[in-house]
Parts: sequence; structure tokens; C-alpha cells
Amino acid sequence: MAEPLLRVENLCKWFEVRRGLFSKPLYLKAVDNVSFELMRGEAVSLVGESGSGKTTLGRTILRLLEPTKGRIIFDGKDITHLRPKELMWYRREASLVQQDPYGALPSFMNIYRILEEPLLIHKVGDREERRERIFKALEEVRLTPVEDFAFKYPHMLSGGQLQRVAIARALILRPKLVIADEPVSMLDASVRIEILTLMRELQEKRRISFIYITHDLSTTRYFSEWIYIMYAGHLMEIAPTKELISNPQHPYTQALLAAIPDPDPENRKRFRKVPPGEPPSLINPPPGCRFHPRCPYAMDICRREEPPMIDLGGGHRVKCWLYAKR
Amino acid sequence: MGVLMEVRGLRLYYSTRKGVVKAVDNVSFQLMEGETLAVVGESGCGKSSMAKAIIRLLPRNVHTYDGSIIFEGRDIMKLDEETFRREVRWRKISMVFQGAMNSLNPVLKVGFQVGEPLMIYDGLSKEEAIARARKMLRMVGIHEAFADRYPFELSGGMKQRAVIAMALITNPRLVILDEPTSALDVITQANIMNMLKRVRDEYGLSYIFITHDIALSSELADKVAVMYAGQIVEVADAEIFYREPSHPYAQKLMASVPTLRTDKKLEFIPGAPPSLLEPPPGCRFHPRCPYAMDICRREEPPVIDLGGGHKVKCWLYAKR
Ligand SMILES: Nc1ncnc2c1ncn2[C@@H]1O[C@H](COP(=O)(O)OP(=O)(O)OP(=O)(O)O)[C@@H](O)[C@H]1O
Ligand SMILES: Nc1ncnc2c1ncn2[C@@H]1O[C@H](COP(=O)(O)OP(=O)(O)OP(=O)(O)O)[C@@H](O)[C@H]1O
Ligand code: SF4
Ligand SMILES: [Mg+2]
Ligand SMILES: [Mg+2]
Repeated sequence: MAEPLLRVENLCKWFEVRRGLFSKPLYLKAVDNVSFELMRGEAVSLVGESGSGKTTLGRTILRLLEPTKGRIIFDGKDITHLRPKELMWYRREASLVQQDPYGALPSFMNIYRILEEPLLIHKVGDREERRERIFKALEEVRLTPVEDFAFKYPHMLSGGQLQRVAIARALILRPKLVIADEPVSMLDASVRIEILTLMRELQEKRRISFIYITHDLSTTRYFSEWIYIMYAGHLMEIAPTKELISNPQHPYTQALLAAIPDPDPENRKRFRKVPPGEPPSLINPPPGCRFHPRCPYAMDICRREEPPMIDLGGGHRVKCWLYAKR
Repeated sequence: MGVLMEVRGLRLYYSTRKGVVKAVDNVSFQLMEGETLAVVGESGCGKSSMAKAIIRLLPRNVHTYDGSIIFEGRDIMKLDEETFRREVRWRKISMVFQGAMNSLNPVLKVGFQVGEPLMIYDGLSKEEAIARARKMLRMVGIHEAFADRYPFELSGGMKQRAVIAMALITNPRLVILDEPTSALDVITQANIMNMLKRVRDEYGLSYIFITHDIALSSELADKVAVMYAGQIVEVADAEIFYREPSHPYAQKLMASVPTLRTDKKLEFIPGAPPSLLEPPPGCRFHPRCPYAMDICRREEPPVIDLGGGHKVKCWLYAKR
């Protein structure tokens, strides 16, 4: 079997939230014991509610945050604790597209400078080669005519155009891994589809491994091979996209799917079967399964012991006691 | 079922340094008693402005504000501010403002804030108002003990429920909901939609439900109005709209909605919505419309009645 591009093993990112003189430090376990593998050229959607740890997981993988425990293997190399100097090559191979198109780009640089910066940092090409690469990048994200856009400043562009610049910047060093953190959530519906379609096209063309962080399950169907469901710092379910949507196994995934409407005039006449309550605190998460206080099927063991990740075959895995053979 | 409200030729323009922004430009529609109208459209198309024009809470820089709003038989546009405040705002029509949950007053208890409209509009005492607020909190799914808490002690979903309670407390006939769940997670959102349906069934009230989320709009809509660049370009019953909208913009908008349970080819609308300072001549959608004809570039299309309350502002449907 082919080597995965990225292997994450029992990764934890805990934030220290209080340390008194005498009291023990208190941790917010934003990412707790997360494991998965990402193959080359595959796109994964990382889905979860606000505060579930998606951004923290993404930033920890990119080593923008220091991992607390666990391992990150990228392209066969253990990068978990590489020092800043050794990380240079990784910065080139793995990049980020952020959520807020308005805040992500420096306002005092024109688009050309914004795209040139990573090339300068990583000493790519001479002036002429850089220019060629920047123009090509703008063309790829369809900011044409490129001569017009290259010398504009961020405030002259719409949200959708800014996000194209952010994508061009993330791709300009030809990375193998791109993590896009809610890249379209601040854009209008139609612009969202336009940007996601563009990202998907570039991802497939360049065989980039791609993690699309979102809380919008309905777009994942169109833009990824896999869906990972995250809840309160844990990965709860992993499955191929269609399988996850048509055959969700985790009670949380089932709730999430039940909550999402498709446009349908019948909707106004029916009530949705969704659990009450909201996700738990991550400082003092519920023992056992973190979903148990809201789960309609919770059993005794769910309240006591953390469920293992259970392999259902075909790449479908679920962290729930309902599927444990005992 | 009678007519609750009829809006005719409503306009709200703003003065700005760059010129006049035609945020609501000649908007007309009808709302029946107990019916919910969803208003959908892209960011900046004038949805919130239309809502504010109806409840008459306007910014200072109003340039033009006219038209008529017949509510329960009388033209409330003609009322002076004092009468409007006493008899219409919050008594008959209330509103949940976009982002309202973040503008709860942090130093006042939730029960007081929810009950406040009763003190202002109904002259109730503080005690009576807070007692009613407790009941209303329960109605929207918050334990009444939270009446004595401060906003920071509530989760996002609870804050949103509290501002909805504030809009319901005077027992209005129409509640305008401006993006009431857009900052919330989907499960919380679904819970609040369930609550809004329960309230609707219990009180028989009408909603104007403003959202940019088409799929979500179908959770409440009996009827849908599509706004584009300050104008309503289509109004249709939910049955018709979600299956087969008529206006080219509405069709494109529907084609861009990702569906979870069925496969379809997703489309997007090339180009961007026009400036409301100088909207394109003729049909405002013509620069992005795949069917644009000569007349579309020259003359503003009329509103064409397709029967059964289905109206569309597009030259394709004009008999000539
Ligand atoms: N630097 C930090 N210090 C302390 N806590 C943090 C820090 N960054 C994030 N957290 C907490 O970690 C948890 C996970 O946050 P994270 O931003 O990863 O969630 P998310 O899934 O990306 O949410 P959203 O959908 O809102 O973006 C939250 O409870 C958050 O408050
Ligand atoms: N007080 C004001 N002065 C000048 N222009 C304004 C004012 N309020 C709103 N606008 C402009 O009027 C237009 C319509 O704004 P409005 O807030 O009604 O749109 P919307 O459809 O509610 O958008 P969104 O979906 O982003 O909430 C926008 O172009 C906006 O910038
Ligand atoms: S482990 Fe138990 S509580 Fe958690 S989702 Fe499964 S059944 Fe529900
Ligand atoms: Mg995040
Ligand atoms: Mg608005």
C-alpha cells in the first residue's frame, strides 16, 4: 500500500488556561488523541461545530502551534518537534488558507508583493522567474487580466477575489499539503461555490493533499473524498464522503446530518430530530464519551470509559461504544 | 385567511458622500395572516433595509422613505412617529435584529431585558414585566432561572433565544427575523427553527424570515421573496419556488445551493452584484443574466403576474 503523505498519531493540543502558585495547571484539551492518515492527492473535509478544535488541529499539523503529545509524520519524516530552522522546508510543503479574506492579507502590500513574499523567503528563482510564476498563479485563480490585478491592493478587491489571492499565495510554493480553514464561510453562497470549485480544480490538477475545514456539511459532498467528524476535541467518525452522508454511524454524526435542511417546501411542516444542549466545556469534558450527555443511546459504559476508534471496514471508522464487540 | 400586510412601492434610499444608495427600491408584496415570507438574496441586496423600513427604525442619513404599508387595513406609513410607536412598533410588528444576540446589554439581567418592551410599550411595572419575561423564556426553551442571569452566562444559542423572546413578549402579529441563526451551529440552529415553528403554530403569527441561506429559508417559508439589488425580482409560494423558480437570478441562486442528500451539478453566478449607487439600466440583473435580450438592457422589466400570487420581474415573461 502507498505511503500516506501525512500521518497523525494520537495528536494532542492542550492549552494551559490557569496556573496558580500552588494549584495544578488546568488544561483546555482542544485536540485530544486524534489519529488519521491522509493520502497523496486526496481531499478531506474536517467538519465540526464551533469550538470543536478544527482550527487548532489544522494549525498544530502545520506546526503553527506546538503539539502537546503525539506524532506528526509528513512525507515519511517526523516533524512533531522540529525546530524553527528545520521547519523551513515544511513551510514550503504545507500551507494554509485562512477564513477571513479581509484580515489574512497585509493591506500595505499590493497583490504582486503579497505573492512574491513567500518566493523571496524561500529564495525561489530570479526576478524574471518570480514574475512569471506570480502571473501564472494569478491566471490559475482567474484573476484576469493579471496585469490589472497584480498591482491592486487588497482593499480594492471583493471578498471572493481576496480569497483567490489567498489561494494563489498558498499554492505558489507548490506545496504537497494545503489546509483551508473555513475558506468560504464569509462569502455569499454563489461565490462560495465558485471558490470551492476553483480550489478543487487546482487540488486535483496538482494532486495536492487537502484538508478543508468547515462546519458546512452540505458542501463537503461536492469537494472531498473523505469526511472527518470532530466533536469536543475528538475525531468521532471517519468515512468516505458518500458513505458518511448516506450511512452515518456515530450518533453525533446522525444528529448533525438530521439538523441540515435541503431546500424543500415540506420542511416548514416538520420538526427536526436533533438533540438538545450544546457541546461541552473542554476544560472539564464529560468522562467517557464526550457526546454521552446529549446522546439518545448512551449506555453505562459511555459515561465511564472513552470509546475506542472502531474499524467498520472500507475506511469507515467510528468512535462509539455501540459498535464495540464485547 | 385575511391579508395581514400589504406593502406597495416601498422605497428607502440613503444619502452618502458617494451619492444616493437605493437600498430598497419600489418593493411590493402581500403577507397573509399566519403566513411566513422568507426574504432571500445576496449580501447587501437590501434585506435588512427593507425590514427596517417596515418597522420604521431608520438611520439618520435617509434620503427617501416612501410607499405604503397597509397593516390590518390601515396605512401605517401615514402614522406620525408617536402613534406608530404606541400602536405599531412592538405592539403589532416586532423584530429580531441581525446580530442582536451580541448587542444584549452586558450589565442588565436577561429577564429585565426580555421584559423591557412591556415596560416601554405597554407601561407594565418592572415586576410584572419580569414575571412575563420568565414565561416567555420558558416558551423559547430557556429555563426561567436564567431571567436572573447576565448575558455572558448564556451560550450563543440561549442568547439568540432570549432576543427572540424579547420580540415575542408583546404578543405581536408579525415578527421580522433578520438572520436569526446565522452565527450559530447547525444543531443549535435546528433547535431554534423547531422552536420558531412551535411558536408559529401556537400563536398563529406571521414571520418575515430574512436569510441568505436558501436551504434554511425552507424551514419556515410559506412564500419566498427574492431580492436583487434593492428590488424584489420574484415572489412565489414555497411549493413553486423550491422546485422551479422563474426568475433567471432565482434559478441561478437555487443552482448554487449545495444539497446534502442528492447529487446535482452546482453552478455559480459569474460576476458580482451591482452597486446600489448606480444600478445598471433596464433589468438590474442583465449584466449577469444568460438570457438577457436587448430590451433588458434598456427598459426596467414590469412585475408580471403568473397567477396564484406568483410574481416575477423579468422581460422573459412579458407578453408582447
Ligand atoms: N490559544 C488558545 N488558548 C486557549 N484556548 C484556545 C486557544 N485557541 C483555541 N482555544 C480553545 O480551543 C477550543 C477549540 O478551538 P478551535 O478554534 O480550534 O475550534 P474550531 O473548531 O476551529 O471552532 P470554529 O468553528 O469556531 O472556528 C475552543 O474551546 C477555543 O476556545
Ligand atoms: N445607513 C446606511 N447608509 C448608507 N448605506 C447603507 C446604510 N445601511 C445600509 N447601507 C447599504 O445599503 C445596501 C443594503 O444594505 P442591507 O444591510 O439592507 O443589506 P442586506 O441584504 O441586509 O445585507 P446582509 O445580507 O449583508 O445583511 C448595502 O449596499 C449597504 O452597504
Ligand atoms: S459512545 Fe455512547 S454516548 Fe457516545 S455516541 Fe456512542 S452511544 Fe452515544
Ligand atoms: Mg476555527
Ligand atoms: Mg442584513
